[in-house]
Amino acid sequence: MKQYFKNTFDALYTVLVGMRITFKHLFVPSVTIQYPEVKPQMPERARNRLFVNMDDCIGCDQCSRACPVNCITIETVKATPDDSPGETSQGKKKALWVTKFDIDIAKCCFCSLCVYPCPTECINMTKVYEFSEFERDNLIYNFATLTMDEVTDKQKKFEEFTAQKEAEKLAAAKAKAEKAKQDAAKKDDKPESKPE
Amino acid sequence: MYDFLVNLVGNNIVAFFIAAALPLFLFILPYALLAVLAERKVSAHMQDRLGPMRTGYHGILQTVADILKLIQKEDLRASSTDKSLFNFAPYLVFMGSFAAFAVLPFSSFFIGSSIDVGLFYFLAISSLVVAGILMGGWSSNNKYSLLGAMRSVSQIISYEIPTAVVVLTMVMITGSLNLHTISDQQTAFFWNWNILGGTLPGIAKFLLIPLMLGAFIIIFISTLAEVNRTPFDIPEAESELVAGFFTEYSGMRFAMFFLAEYANMLAVSFLITILFFGGYHSPLGYLGNTLGVEWLVPIEQFFWFASKGLIFVLIQMWLRWTLPRLRVDQLMTVCWKYLIPYSIAILLLVGLVTLI
Amino acid sequence: MELYDIIFYLFAAITIGSAIVVVNSKNIVHAAFSLLLTFFGVSGIYVLLGADFIAVVQIMVYVGGILILLLFGVMLTNRITNVDIRSGSIQVIPAIIGLAIFTAILFWTMTSTNWKSEKFELPTTTAFQIGDILLSEYVLIFELLGILLLIALIGAASIARRDKE
Repeated sequence: MKQYFKNTFDALYTVLVGMRITFKHLFVPSVTIQYPEVKPQMPERARNRLFVNMDDCIGCDQCSRACPVNCITIETVKATPDDSPGETSQGKKKALWVTKFDIDIAKCCFCSLCVYPCPTECINMTKVYEFSEFERDNLIYNFATLTMDEVTDKQKKFEEFTAQKEAEKLAAAKAKAEKAKQDAAKKDDKPESKPE
Repeated sequence: MYDFLVNLVGNNIVAFFIAAALPLFLFILPYALLAVLAERKVSAHMQDRLGPMRTGYHGILQTVADILKLIQKEDLRASSTDKSLFNFAPYLVFMGSFAAFAVLPFSSFFIGSSIDVGLFYFLAISSLVVAGILMGGWSSNNKYSLLGAMRSVSQIISYEIPTAVVVLTMVMITGSLNLHTISDQQTAFFWNWNILGGTLPGIAKFLLIPLMLGAFIIIFISTLAEVNRTPFDIPEAESELVAGFFTEYSGMRFAMFFLAEYANMLAVSFLITILFFGGYHSPLGYLGNTLGVEWLVPIEQFFWFASKGLIFVLIQMWLRWTLPRLRVDQLMTVCWKYLIPYSIAILLLVGLVTLI
Repeated sequence: MELYDIIFYLFAAITIGSAIVVVNSKNIVHAAFSLLLTFFGVSGIYVLLGADFIAVVQIMVYVGGILILLLFGVMLTNRITNVDIRSGSIQVIPAIIGLAIFTAILFWTMTSTNWKSEKFELPTTTAFQIGDILLSEYVLIFELLGILLLIALIGAASIARRDKE
């Protein structure tokens, strides 16, 4: 019988306790963020869209190799000495023209593994998270700064350069061979043993 | 109101129908729109959210948009439902909950029908809702619907007993079944309200106060259970039964169940208001009487009645977002082992007190 | 008044129509739900006769109580909803003869009885008088009915508790 009244009292009392809590929460400022108007604050090391600073890229292909899902495609052409791609912001000399630097962000798994190996710190994760598209092709980002004409131009230049170099090399080899011959001839003239 | 309409229409019965139907269009439909929004807003803020914010300023047009959406929706019906019963059930539920408003005195001037068995009629007509729920649940031909309907009906029938006993207690004190008379007995100031002992003289009034408080708590809990609100919402327990008896309904038929639920909430709130909190009477006297403006009094009365009722609706919402759902056996324990013995004890004690 | 007549015929039509469905329906749940309309129509007729209390009792007890119990019984009984109920017509000629005799007797009684048709004011409230009479003149029957219901209640409770011992 005592338990019965205690139960009754407990039921009413605990309901009132609960109601007090919810009443308090009625006036607690809401935690909702009105999204498109108010953007949520991204954490310090948030990993979202990838960005490549092409001024710094030396086309070393390390990011592409680090990528676990193969979403980075890099093609390079070696630079000719007369037409240098310049230097990175840290003063490192670039040796390659990056003719293609595509990131398929649809494949990207935001692991950030491409960021660590980069020697010039040119590829990094930004805080931009709104990049949905209507076409899947639009999710392939082209970072390469060169136009198609420039690319073919560079390629041609490189080919010419290699051809020239090849020719020089050939000439050099020839010269070398001739020189060797001449040297050999000279040696023949000289006595074999040293005077001692 | 009635006399006014008789003069306007020139026919007793037509005037009667208009008077009975007027609360529906004038008050209940706008209320339902508002209440659905209020429910969402209250629940959101209690959970530190914001609720609907997009449609109109702070989402005030959200329910209007919802209604427009529901009207446009296709009237889906599963192939193995019992067609005629399935189609009729929402109307029955709607009818049962809205017919109850016909006897509620909104103000001394505005009563649909001031019949002498108003209180009894109120309890009786609500049983149409029970039949409608059972009809909808069975005809859906869906185990969730049937289970929900069964639970709902057993719950409503069980909780009708404490409600009826408390109502009986109030009838013993007021000596009337007419809701208008009951309201008018608690006139003037708030210490004449039944919750504070009514107009009984002397010591009896003070003896009655704790009993009335108990009676009020009992009828509040049991009416809450009768309208299937949380913590007594096992008939439509989302986590187990999808949506209970209206799982299969869509579009406007679903909206009708929804409207009926909110109308029921308001109806029982009004019933509690009339029985315990002085009906349409102002707690502090009327401005119209003080200023000598006759026509202001009914408007004030309507204001007080509506605001008292809406406060109870808000408390129902508040409870909904506070308490978890009761299990079926707990539900029946609360009713049969606690509410009914207490209500009968209060009935007997009130009988003794009124003899003093 | 004309409108009263219309309402009366409306309620009468509801009552009779749904009663026919109750008898003829092959589906027992349909029959049970039609009974709801029958009760409703009857209570409407009670209202028109000035018996407001009885009308409300009709709805409360029959619709809110008995009909729901009936439906519960139907729905909780295994496969009863699929049973073919026999409601065909058999023994047509004897039935017609019986019906004709019954109608003739009824008609004769109706026409030959000297109906009292005095005008009297309908009581505006019946609840008070009913309560008064129940607790004065018919108090013994009232108490007996109470005891009967109590017996039924105790019996139901004891049946429900039996296997718990």
